[in-house]
Amino acid sequence: MSYLKLAQRNLWRNKRRTLITISSILFAVFFAAMMRSFQLGSYSLMIDNAIGAYSGYLQIQNPDYADDPSLDNTIPQLEEITALPQKVSNVKAVVPRLETFALASTGNLTKGALVLGILPESEKNFSHPQSFLVKYRFTNQAVRNIVDNPNITEAIKSKVKILEGEMYPTEKKLADALGDEAIDTTVLNIIKRECHYNGRFISASDSEVVVSSRLAKFLNLNVGDSIILMSQGYHGSSAAGIYRVAGLVKIPNPELDNKLIYMPLSKAQDFTGCYNLVSYWAINLKNASDESLQNTQDVINNMLDSKNVTVKTWKELNRVLVQQIESDNKSGIAFLVLLYFVVFFGIFGTVIMMIYERTHEFGVLISVGMQRKKLATLVFIELIFMALIGVVIGMGVSMPIIHYYHVHPIALTGNTAKMMVDMGFEPLMPMAPFGPYLYRQAIVVLVMVVLASIYPIRRIIKINVTDAIRHR
Amino acid sequence: MAVIEVINVEKTYNESQIKVTALKNINLTIEAGEFTAIVGPSGSGKTTLLNLLGGLDKPTSGRIRVGDVWVDTLKGSKLINFRLHHIGFVFQSYNLIPVLSAGENVELIMQLQGVPAAERRKIAYSLLEKVGLADRYKSKPSQLSGGQQQRVAVARALASKPNFILADEPTANLDGKSAENLLQMMELLNKDDGVTFIFSTHDQRVVNRAHRVVVLEDGVIKES
Repeated sequence: MSYLKLAQRNLWRNKRRTLITISSILFAVFFAAMMRSFQLGSYSLMIDNAIGAYSGYLQIQNPDYADDPSLDNTIPQLEEITALPQKVSNVKAVVPRLETFALASTGNLTKGALVLGILPESEKNFSHPQSFLVKYRFTNQAVRNIVDNPNITEAIKSKVKILEGEMYPTEKKLADALGDEAIDTTVLNIIKRECHYNGRFISASDSEVVVSSRLAKFLNLNVGDSIILMSQGYHGSSAAGIYRVAGLVKIPNPELDNKLIYMPLSKAQDFTGCYNLVSYWAINLKNASDESLQNTQDVINNMLDSKNVTVKTWKELNRVLVQQIESDNKSGIAFLVLLYFVVFFGIFGTVIMMIYERTHEFGVLISVGMQRKKLATLVFIELIFMALIGVVIGMGVSMPIIHYYHVHPIALTGNTAKMMVDMGFEPLMPMAPFGPYLYRQAIVVLVMVVLASIYPIRRIIKINVTDAIRHR
Repeated sequence: MAVIEVINVEKTYNESQIKVTALKNINLTIEAGEFTAIVGPSGSGKTTLLNLLGGLDKPTSGRIRVGDVWVDTLKGSKLINFRLHHIGFVFQSYNLIPVLSAGENVELIMQLQGVPAAERRKIAYSLLEKVGLADRYKSKPSQLSGGQQQRVAVARALASKPNFILADEPTANLDGKSAENLLQMMELLNKDDGVTFIFSTHDQRVVNRAHRVVVLEDGVIKES
C-alpha cells in the first residue's frame, strides 16, 4: 500500500469534506481565471482599438513631434522606411500618415476634427479602416419604413425607434444591436434592406473623404454631402478645402469615432501644403510582446540613425492609455488578492476541520509506529491531490467559457455601455485568450494550498499522542 | 531478563495549575510470557501506567526499561521507531485504519518497518489465519463485527514481532461471546507462542484468565 494509494483512499473516506475542499479550490481557480481573463481581455481590446486601428505599435517621427505635434515637425517620405517590412523581420506593415486638426463645417454646424491623410490601399492592410465602413444606418426614413411595416413585431419596432441614427458596419453588429428578437431571418432581411447604407472607402486618387460616424451624426452628414475643412497649413499658411463625403466609418474607439476624417495622403498634403511630407510612419508588428517591441525599436532606430527621425513605441505615444491600464491592472490585482485571501481562508478552514476530525487517527498511527514526518507527508499528499483535482477541474470549466467569451465578447448595453463610450472605450467585455495568466492562477491556488497545509503539518509534527488518542 | 522494569515511577499532571498525581512510587517487573492484568477503579491510573509502559507518555520521575533500553530517555523519531519494533498496541475501540482492509491494516506495521511487499503479505495472511480471520483479508473494518475488528487489531499488534502487547480495555466494547473468543485467542497466543500480554481492564473475565493481577488504587500499586 503506497502512500499515494493511502492518501487517495483517505480522500474518499469523507466524501463531503473532500468535495467541499475541492470545490473551494475549484471556485478559486475559476473566479480568479475569469476575473483575470476579463481584465486582460479588456486591456487587449483597448490596445487593439487604440494601437491596431490607429497609432500602430511603433511610429517613426521627427524627434520634436512628440512634444509639438504640428505640421512644422513633419518628416519626408523616405524610401528606407517604405522598405522596412522587407528589411526588419518583425515589421508587418508600415504606412505614412499626415495628421492635422481642422474645423469641419457643414451648414451651420462646426466641430473640431482630426484629418488623417492616408494611403488607402496600404491602410487596408494596416488598420483596415474599410472594414469599419458603415453599411447599415437607422436613418429617419428607414425607421419610419420599419415602423410602418406590418411584418415587424411591436417589440422590434420599439427597439428600432431607440436605434434611430445608429450605424453598423456589419450585419452581425446590426443583428447584435437588435438583440434576440431579430433572430427571424425574414425580419432581419427587411431591416437590412431598409437600413442599407451606400458608401465607399476612398482610394489614393480620390478627392473625397470618409467621415467617422459620430462626427457625421453631429454634423448631420450623409454620403454625397460636402464638408468644409479649415486649418493652419505648413509653416503658418492657411489651409481650406471643400470635400465630398464618400462614406462613413464606425471606428471601434469612440474617441476617434467622434472626430476622424480620412483623406487620401496626396490630398492631405495639398490641403496643408506639406508636399512630400508626413507626420509619422505607423508600424505594425508581427510580434508585439514587450521584448520584441523594444528590440524592433532599437533595430529601426539604428537603421535610421542618420535621418533625423526617432522611433517611439505605442506605450510612449499613449501614456494616458498605459496609465489607465496600469492603474486598472493594479486595482484588479488588489481585488484578485482579496479573492485569494477569501479563498485561502476557505481552504484553510476545511483543512483545519479535516485535521480536527482525524486527530484521534493521527494519534493511533503515531502510537503504532508511524513517524510524524511520514504522517505529515501523507496529509500533504492528500491536500495536494485535492488541490490538483480542484485546479484541473477549475481550469477545465474555465477554459471553454474563456474561449467562448473571447470569440463572442459580452456586448454591454444601456447606461453601462454609454458610460464606457463616454470614457472612450468600446462597450465590449471580451476575455483574453488562453495564456500564462491562466496557469498563473492555478499556480497561485496551488501555493495557497501549500501555505494552508503548513499549520496542519506543524500540528501533526507537534501532536501529543496521548491527547490525540483520547480525542473524539 | 525482565521484559519490562518500572523503577520508582511517578506521574503528575498540572491541570488548571493544580498538581494531580496519577501514579506514585510504581515499581513493577514484567517477565517474558506473562499474561498480566492491571485492574483498578476508574481514575486509578491504569491507562496512565499503560501509556508509560508503551512509551506514549513520560514519567515525571523514575525509570522504565524495556528489554535493555531505558524508554524514558528516548525521544522523537527514536521513540516512535522503538515502539514500532518492540511494542504492540491493542486499543479499546480497535482503531483500525478505516480505508485499509483487514490484511492491509496488518501489513501497514510491517510496511513502516520496511518489510518487502511479498513477505509482509505472507506474514499478514498467516497472522490473520492465527486469529481466525484469513478469509476476511480483503474486508474493510466497517464490514467486520467488533470482535473481528479487535482480532485484526491483535494481528496488527503481532505484526511487528513485539516484546509485549499492551491492551487497553480490549473487551470493553465487545459482547460476551466476542470477548470470550478474543480472550481464548490471546491466551492461546500466550501459551503457544509465548506472547507477553499486559491488559488494563475492568472486565472480570480478563481478570479471571490473567496469570497475574496488578491492582492499582489512587495511583498506587496495592497488590502485584
